[in-house]
Amino acid sequence: MKITVSSYLSRRGAFLDTELKFGFREENWLKECYQQLEMDYPKFYKMDHLSKMAVLSTEIIKSGGILNGIQDDELELLFANANASQHTDLKFIESYEQQGNPSPSLFVYTLPNILTGELAIRNKWYGENTFFITPEFDETLFAERLYHSARKGSKLCLCGWVDSKLNAQSAVELEECFLFLVALSKEDTRNDSSSFAITLKELYTSYQASTLDN
Amino acid sequence: MSELKENLKAQIIEQLSLEDLTPADIKDDAPLFGDEGLGLDSIDALEFIVLLESNYGIKIADPSQGREIFHSVNSLAAFIESNQ
Repeated sequence: MKITVSSYLSRRGAFLDTELKFGFREENWLKECYQQLEMDYPKFYKMDHLSKMAVLSTEIIKSGGILNGIQDDELELLFANANASQHTDLKFIESYEQQGNPSPSLFVYTLPNILTGELAIRNKWYGENTFFITPEFDETLFAERLYHSARKGSKLCLCGWVDSKLNAQSAVELEECFLFLVALSKEDTRNDSSSFAITLKELYTSYQASTLDN
Repeated sequence: MSELKENLKAQIIEQLSLEDLTPADIKDDAPLFGDEGLGLDSIDALEFIVLLESNYGIKIADPSQGREIFHSVNSLAAFIESNQ
């Protein structure tokens, strides 16, 4: 069980394998990131905050070519966050309380696991996908789930912690996207998963520290 | 007509929560649906129906007309003008 590539995306910048790839100057940093990556995917503009971050981070992960040529059902998706779809939930509530109409296009994003669907559509990945909601980043949960995936023969899993939260004034209080691609083997053991959890926690912590430095 | 089109673009952005876009990003004749243009889908067609009713008091009597009416800002504006 080994992390082959990782990325971290927040308002402070886009990181690939712990190196800063580029920073952001615009208030609308997600649009700036989209433009930096020279993407041409109009559906991006429709997406919720979580999906935008996940799609952009995946493009950064893909930029090194590591996912080129994989079979469409070869890659699992394993994602989690703490605040589910609270960001979109509040905007949806606002759409019918203040504008009088519940917005169908917001409603479709009032589940956080929609982001795995957006990744599947964008990349034509049709492997299994799972989304957990946990109080905080849970490295042991990721490690345990990856161990089980390895035991049933999965070879590659794109994992992510993609979280966003609005405060009482509807301003963004928290937003981050940590992605890591894991190569799995049937030979992986429970001991491997325990040491993997420690490595994963260290990597996540280092990304958070480096974003604070910039 | 050009004022109507500009209003429509602003309303589309607001109704569909396309916060990253400005009216200038939407071309008059670009397809609104599908992979080109704005990449909108059937859920967004519901938003257009709501937009036409709430902002212009127009109901679409024949849903099969939707594809033609919602093709672009140009076609939307022409439909509104001919039904007001």
